[in-house]
Amino acid sequence: MTPKIPKGLVDADAGLVSREAFTSDEIYAAEVSRIFDRTWIYLGHESEIPNAGDYVTRQLGSAPVIVARTPAGAVQAVLNSCRHRGPKLCRDEAGRATNFVCPYHGWSYANDGRLITTTFDHHFPQDTDFSQFNLVKVPRLEIKFGLIFGSWNTDVVPLEDYLNDMGWYLEAFFARTPLGMEVLSPPHRWQVAANWKIGALNFIGDSQHIGTTHIGPLTLDAVRSAREGFTQAGQDSFQVVTKQGHGCTLTYLAPGMPEKNYNTHDAGPSTLFRDHLSDDQMNMLHHLRVCVGNVFPNLSFIETQVAPGEKAVILRLWQPTGARSMEVLSWVFAEREADEAYKESVLRKGFHNFGAAGVFEQDDMELWISATDASNNPIAAQYPYSFHTSLPYQDTQDNTYGWPGRAYRPSDTEVAQFEFMREWDRRLQGGEEADILAAAQ
Amino acid sequence: MNVLPTTGAVSAEIYYDIQRFLADEAALLDRHDYAAWFALLTPDISYRVAVHQVRSRGSREQVHEIIDEDSDNLRLRVDQLANPKLTVSENPASLYRRFVTNIRADTTEIADTFAVKTNVLVYKNRTGNDQVDLYAGEREDVLRRVDGSLRIASRLVRLDQSVLLGGTLSTLL
Repeated sequence: MTPKIPKGLVDADAGLVSREAFTSDEIYAAEVSRIFDRTWIYLGHESEIPNAGDYVTRQLGSAPVIVARTPAGAVQAVLNSCRHRGPKLCRDEAGRATNFVCPYHGWSYANDGRLITTTFDHHFPQDTDFSQFNLVKVPRLEIKFGLIFGSWNTDVVPLEDYLNDMGWYLEAFFARTPLGMEVLSPPHRWQVAANWKIGALNFIGDSQHIGTTHIGPLTLDAVRSAREGFTQAGQDSFQVVTKQGHGCTLTYLAPGMPEKNYNTHDAGPSTLFRDHLSDDQMNMLHHLRVCVGNVFPNLSFIETQVAPGEKAVILRLWQPTGARSMEVLSWVFAEREADEAYKESVLRKGFHNFGAAGVFEQDDMELWISATDASNNPIAAQYPYSFHTSLPYQDTQDNTYGWPGRAYRPSDTEVAQFEFMREWDRRLQGGEEADILAAAQ
Repeated sequence: MNVLPTTGAVSAEIYYDIQRFLADEAALLDRHDYAAWFALLTPDISYRVAVHQVRSRGSREQVHEIIDEDSDNLRLRVDQLANPKLTVSENPASLYRRFVTNIRADTTEIADTFAVKTNVLVYKNRTGNDQVDLYAGEREDVLRRVDGSLRIASRLVRLDQSVLLGGTLSTLL
């Protein structure tokens, strides 16, 4: 039984979103069943489990899973719960194992989920089919650009269709060299008393918070781009929205900035891009100062300069743990082909800005907690959040470059954020990926 | 994690100096005097804060840094925290109280350079968020006497957490 969800949480004509979307336990329960247990959710990156037997433990929707590389080299995910009486088979965050033995009564499973023995097989009824006790396999698992996604929904659309136009951008960030990207350290993880959607909205297109929330790192030039460059770049930037509720904001450096700031400078891993990407993707990367985006529902990314000639790609998962709480996971990536010194520098600087002690993150978290706290009461609930700066721009696409997705200028409006909320509302009201794809075509 | 080889416990006199230095240092951070704190660091400072990854006992210790900074990066962090106009997370200021205990100080093969292990417990109260956080950890410092005064040349804090429970870290440990 899924709870009844009131209509009108998102008022598309008025540019309003109910605060209860960010605070209500009932709405959260519906999000879990209609979004997180239905659609594609990010599980991890292939480079986190490079060898046979490597695994990481993650969350897929409402359930804990083990994501492992089997002896045959395939990536597979299983429910991390013993079929006998339920404990987690694996309580480590990561490791390597050929099998998992339940610490409760000793049921043991191969790394691919197959039951090896219950230890007491001889006490079972004679004709027991033990294969019925194999670990519950995540029914849908697909990998695109090294990014591993899973879904509990056997009928979910293929991942490529799900990512649709956003895949073109993800390819340019995660598959731009022959070997692709590599995770540089285990994820930073932190809990925060805020609704997960605040994170998704923050990344899909919240240019309006940069100058206030992040006045500190901007003033101090924490990302090492000349202040003048950033200001000029702000004039050449736009939002992209795609089907399924994905989106991103691209911000470019103005012409005339030092060439070493660009993704197409003549040293380091970017020299490999040209042979691996289309001309349009190269044009998209050329002069790109920063791209921040979100794959619906809760996978965000940043592609940003962290020092002259150094680019970090960061992935961020907003993993809900309740209506008003989430755990955040943050990974830093660099091209596999890059040398160790480059990777170390990208890791250090990437996390300086966007890690568990990141100079950008600390101020974001303070305000997300504050927003959740101050909205979670019956008085505040009567006054919906404003997304009004999306309204005048919704029908004014500006596809100057002709790249995938729908582009909107300027970048400092709430078009992408409001599109995310409308997509969220469609799904909460019972819409499925297939319906949404069909309607959009 | 590189560790400086030690050559035995420091003298009582040096131990006293180190204990006093660490207490004074903690007091500076407790009262948000970041500029004075930064002056206690050597220019070649390596400042790291690490967390543990949950792994079965017996497997290799897995710690990874959440902060790994040299003087330049640390300066940015300190300058932000020091200026009320540049920080939201520490304005209004959180209330911090640091406890530095279990001091084990050794001499090293390098003159006037000491390897100092401590336990650190940091209490944080952020009233606006109804939040109390505790950060417990083990510190490995390299302290160096420069022109007669102790300075921090290296610090590694291993926090006893794998997931930061109170949000992101917005202070120095």
